[in-house]
Amino acid sequence: MAGLAGVSILAAGLAHSVWAAPTPDDAAYDKLRILAGIMAVVDEEYVEPVETQALIESAMNGALSRLDPHSAYIPPTTFTEQRKAARREYGGLGIEVVMEEGYIKISYALEEGPAYAAGIRSGDFITAVEGESVRDKTLDEAVEGIRGLAGDPVNVTVLTPEEGTREVTVMRQQVRGRAIRHRVEDGLGYVIIESFNNDRLTDDLRRAIELLQEELGGPLPGLIIDLRGNRGGLLTQSVSVSGLFLDGGEVLSVRGREDRDTERYHAEYGELLPDVPIVVIVSPGSASAAEILAGALQDRGRAVVIGRRTFGKGSVQSVVPLPGNRGALRLTTQKYYTPSGKSIQGRGIMPDLLVSAFDDTGELRRRFREDSLPNALTNADRSEYEEDYEAVIYPPEEFPRDEDFQLSQAIDVLKSDRHATLLAAQSDLD
Amino acid sequence: MKYVLPVVGTVAAVSLFAITTANQAALAVEKPSYSDTFEQLDLFADVMARVRSDYVVEVEDGELIEDAINGMLQSLDPHSSYVNPEDFQRLQEQTSGRYVGVGMEVTQEDGYVKVVAPIDGSPAKEAGIESGDFITEINGETVLGLSLTEAVNIIRGKAGEEVTLTIARVDEEPRDITLERREVNREVVSYEIMDGVPYIRISQFNEKAAPGLEGAIAELRREMGRSLPGLVLDLRSNPGGLLTESIKVSSVFLDGGKVVSTRGRDATEQQNYSAEAGQLLDGVPVVVLIDEASASASEIVAGAIQDRGRGIVLGMTSFGKGSVQSLIPLRGGRDGALRLTTQRYYTPDGRSIQGTGIDPDLFVSAYPDDGEDHSRPSESDLPNSIENEDTAPEEGVTDAVEDSVDDIMIDYPPEGFEVTDDYQLQRAIELIRTGDYTQRLAELQN
Repeated sequence: MAGLAGVSILAAGLAHSVWAAPTPDDAAYDKLRILAGIMAVVDEEYVEPVETQALIESAMNGALSRLDPHSAYIPPTTFTEQRKAARREYGGLGIEVVMEEGYIKISYALEEGPAYAAGIRSGDFITAVEGESVRDKTLDEAVEGIRGLAGDPVNVTVLTPEEGTREVTVMRQQVRGRAIRHRVEDGLGYVIIESFNNDRLTDDLRRAIELLQEELGGPLPGLIIDLRGNRGGLLTQSVSVSGLFLDGGEVLSVRGREDRDTERYHAEYGELLPDVPIVVIVSPGSASAAEILAGALQDRGRAVVIGRRTFGKGSVQSVVPLPGNRGALRLTTQKYYTPSGKSIQGRGIMPDLLVSAFDDTGELRRRFREDSLPNALTNADRSEYEEDYEAVIYPPEEFPRDEDFQLSQAIDVLKSDRHATLLAAQSDLD
Repeated sequence: MKYVLPVVGTVAAVSLFAITTANQAALAVEKPSYSDTFEQLDLFADVMARVRSDYVVEVEDGELIEDAINGMLQSLDPHSSYVNPEDFQRLQEQTSGRYVGVGMEVTQEDGYVKVVAPIDGSPAKEAGIESGDFITEINGETVLGLSLTEAVNIIRGKAGEEVTLTIARVDEEPRDITLERREVNREVVSYEIMDGVPYIRISQFNEKAAPGLEGAIAELRREMGRSLPGLVLDLRSNPGGLLTESIKVSSVFLDGGKVVSTRGRDATEQQNYSAEAGQLLDGVPVVVLIDEASASASEIVAGAIQDRGRGIVLGMTSFGKGSVQSLIPLRGGRDGALRLTTQRYYTPDGRSIQGTGIDPDLFVSAYPDDGEDHSRPSESDLPNSIENEDTAPEEGVTDAVEDSVDDIMIDYPPEGFEVTDDYQLQRAIELIRTGDYTQRLAELQN
């Protein structure tokens, strides 16, 4: 299930030293002999020549995918690519852009990026690339012209509102992408965390909050953390991000096959935004590390969670490199638990306030969650855990279709006494 | 050692079996040429050791390796699979095509079990299960995550027991159907006289196919006299079966000569199969009906009759399964057996039908041209199906192929025609009754 690779929480490769020769029991030995026999027959008799390596890879994936949807064998080439992707480096100008009024608008210029060094700032527009107007182009087409090989210069026409246009030549560089976006929304801080698969996410988030404070000219009156569609990423990042908003205490615990293998992760002392009310927005696409953050802030009474019930991936995969450049094994080794000791496996995080992004069409939308995956691990807690459909808030008819209803509800919660009410309701449950 | 294989309704969707001898030599893994295999097995053993020690819950080694075997074979093509010792034992006992079940041909699609065709006179047919239906649950448990073989094993059981299937159909609410398992042992050949034209349907190529066909012809002659005015041979929704039966059935229509040839990995190892000399139906016009679910052995018969100019093939392009599976016992059957795709087959003109199917001489649709999609899955829709080596993508060639597809004239039933009135059959009967047959056959041969 390569397509689900993004869902995994990746703990750093376990430093186990169990490379003892296999000592399978008799039944396993018999099966292994059958497998070897089959490989030999296929090698000789199959209608087409077959690569032994491809055969054994399918064999491993056949076995691993039956364990659960997140365990898999990673071939050497893929493994190398994935390690690169975790660092998310690409050649560019170090800008985050959106399309506005037919031009490319810089929504954020990375301070260490070459565009920033050339005097390009957030809020500027790019009207032409290499003398060619970007009007009538899609964002993808326009960005295509800006990207290129590191070390190659690119000429862009920059428009700074109320100052006019100028031509700027920027040297493309290897730039590290952020996994977050930030902006001021209705006087409140708003950060979107797209993924936890970035080892500098916590630093980026801390910096984004500073920028928001600068922009608002003082402490934030409230913060919205958007985790919708966030498929997770690095376990360590979910812990350190949670730690930004908690003053010590447990963030999560992970447990292996034996209960005594429990490891507990704690937040550092001192929090970044004490007393600032926080709303977390989640969706059924929020998984894994995103659920850890939402679960920790909810369990600890630190944030109000709104949106729809999350994906429910409560297992941790370890990526174990196989010696001799033979790729790696991604194996589910642990389950994790929120500070109150609940497993979210197959259940997910239930929002304090159920808010739908879409109109109530009267039909039940089939949602794709962990428990709809084949061979998903089951949760020992089998108690009823369904959204109360009567309680879901849908966008009213007059609400503009192209606006974000869940975000507008998050703003309303922070600006009204609903935040306090919802937080109080949380503690009633404990 | 020879194993005679029954055509088991639910084991594999569409199988063409060659009867094979065990190649014990192939099992000698100790051969030095397998050093690469050993290296790979070493990797496999390492990974399994990791799983055993580190996986979040305890796992059973034997099961894990069996899953590995299935994963490996599924990656080859949709028709290769492992038969465990118990199933192999059962297969050997079933020399007659009898088994206990609910009687349907199934395949797998999107993780669900999909009905290719219910078997005539079976519990599935009686309960109204139709080809194209999806089985989403068996006894209330989802089939997602099960291999086809596993799902089939759950559906099967002892005679008299019940099994509940959740049937999903496009545009309909899923519903539960409870079926009582029984021995499915129907005749595979049926016949009828329709508007004065003899009609014979072969629903599957098990060992009863050729004797059944000969018996039906004898019965028809008893009723209509020695010289039959023509014959409609219905192979629609016939998923295939034994290679030997397809040759015997072709022999009824052909006086010696090529029927089919098979080729393994080494193209020089070609095996030719010919019809017996003398034909039972000398000079009798033959119209063969095929559709998207005519597969394997059906396609051999239709292809032979078409290539040899012996009759007119009418209907829609067939399924396109041009490969032969051998059942290879492992350690004399003690380790079960391997059902492995070992050969492709070719029509008398040397065509491979793998992934392309047999195009009928006359395209006649069962369904009106109402813009709805009545298509059914074909071989090329199956995951990992083998490509046709004749149509390996080449620059410029693909365009020509697409153009020719556009040129196909399909004869649709007129507006208001009831699908149940069987337009394809009516067109076949007309062809023989009106005498157009001779003219059309001559046209096709030019």
